[in-house]
Amino acid sequence: MSTPLVNSGRGPRQQFELSIGRVTFGLQMSDRKLFGAASARYRAFTDAARPPIKIALNHGALPAAAADFAYEFEGAALRVFRSEIRFDGVRNQYALDSLLRVLLSWKLLGRRGFLLHAATVVRDGKAYIFTGRSGAGKSTVASLSPEGSVLTDEISLLRREHGMWRAYGTPFWGEFRAGGLNISAPVAGVFRLVQAAENRVTPLRPLAILRSLLPNVLFFSAEAEANRRLLEILSQAATEIAGYNLAFRNNPTFWEVLPS
Amino acid sequence: MSTPAAVVWQKNPDLAWREIDDETVIISPHDSVMHELNDTGSFLWKSIDGKKSAAELAELLVENYQVAPDIALSDAQALLEEMSSRKLVVTVSATGGVSP
Repeated sequence: MSTPLVNSGRGPRQQFELSIGRVTFGLQMSDRKLFGAASARYRAFTDAARPPIKIALNHGALPAAAADFAYEFEGAALRVFRSEIRFDGVRNQYALDSLLRVLLSWKLLGRRGFLLHAATVVRDGKAYIFTGRSGAGKSTVASLSPEGSVLTDEISLLRREHGMWRAYGTPFWGEFRAGGLNISAPVAGVFRLVQAAENRVTPLRPLAILRSLLPNVLFFSAEAEANRRLLEILSQAATEIAGYNLAFRNNPTFWEVLPS
Repeated sequence: MSTPAAVVWQKNPDLAWREIDDETVIISPHDSVMHELNDTGSFLWKSIDGKKSAAELAELLVENYQVAPDIALSDAQALLEEMSSRKLVVTVSATGGVSP
């Protein structure tokens, strides 16, 4: 983590850099308490290796130009300008976390990636993506998996790189606990979760995979072109990634029916 | 719905859509609703180009699905009405005006 002091003319700002799914951010802020909380929360994701996308938090007057992308969430606002990115109205780490998810989902669009409500577990070097809405069993599956192999139990990051799909860990966990593994692995498959009395895995056609992905993707732009791009990426994922329905019992035996 | 002969149909330009498994998936960005069109609906959707009327689209159904012209016209009009009710397509008048 780098924490240089930045002389902004508004008092000293500190910056820390983080990398999530190889998208790098440099967060600049003068709020020491928020800086401390954010530094602790994202400590596993601070190995930014490339020049970061700089984000100014609560920095006062906005540029005169119209924003390329904007999103508001419970009084906090993300605005992407040609010259800078601003997070305003950020009063706690929860708001910061929400805006980071929104910005990341938008930035991934240009990197052939997306965020998905899903748990990711790495086993034998491959990433198993378990998706579903709240209550489907993402946290349950994560808790039934080997220690140290869970990249996230709530929000997964998938990117297509060099012709193959990889899953990355994220700091976004269901119960907002700091953690997550900042590693990646090639995707073995996407599994749509259904809790059941017996373990059973059923292959899905690409259209069914797309159906299972779409409601669980995190995306916040209502702009037509951005949605076209997202749909193109998801269609490619649905075509190239193996997908299954996974009916599973509430114990680790479901791993026995998963394809290797 | 009654559609004057001069009226042609076009896709709602605000939508995102893709073909997958011989079906068409359409996303409405404003409400994130996903629509799916089956084989015939996909064929009609691909043929809607802002230049063809319901009758002209029905002719394409006749050529490609070997159905009787009156049934094709009835099917085309029903599909267009359904798509219109979901705001997937809009009509364009002979003077170029768009109406939902």
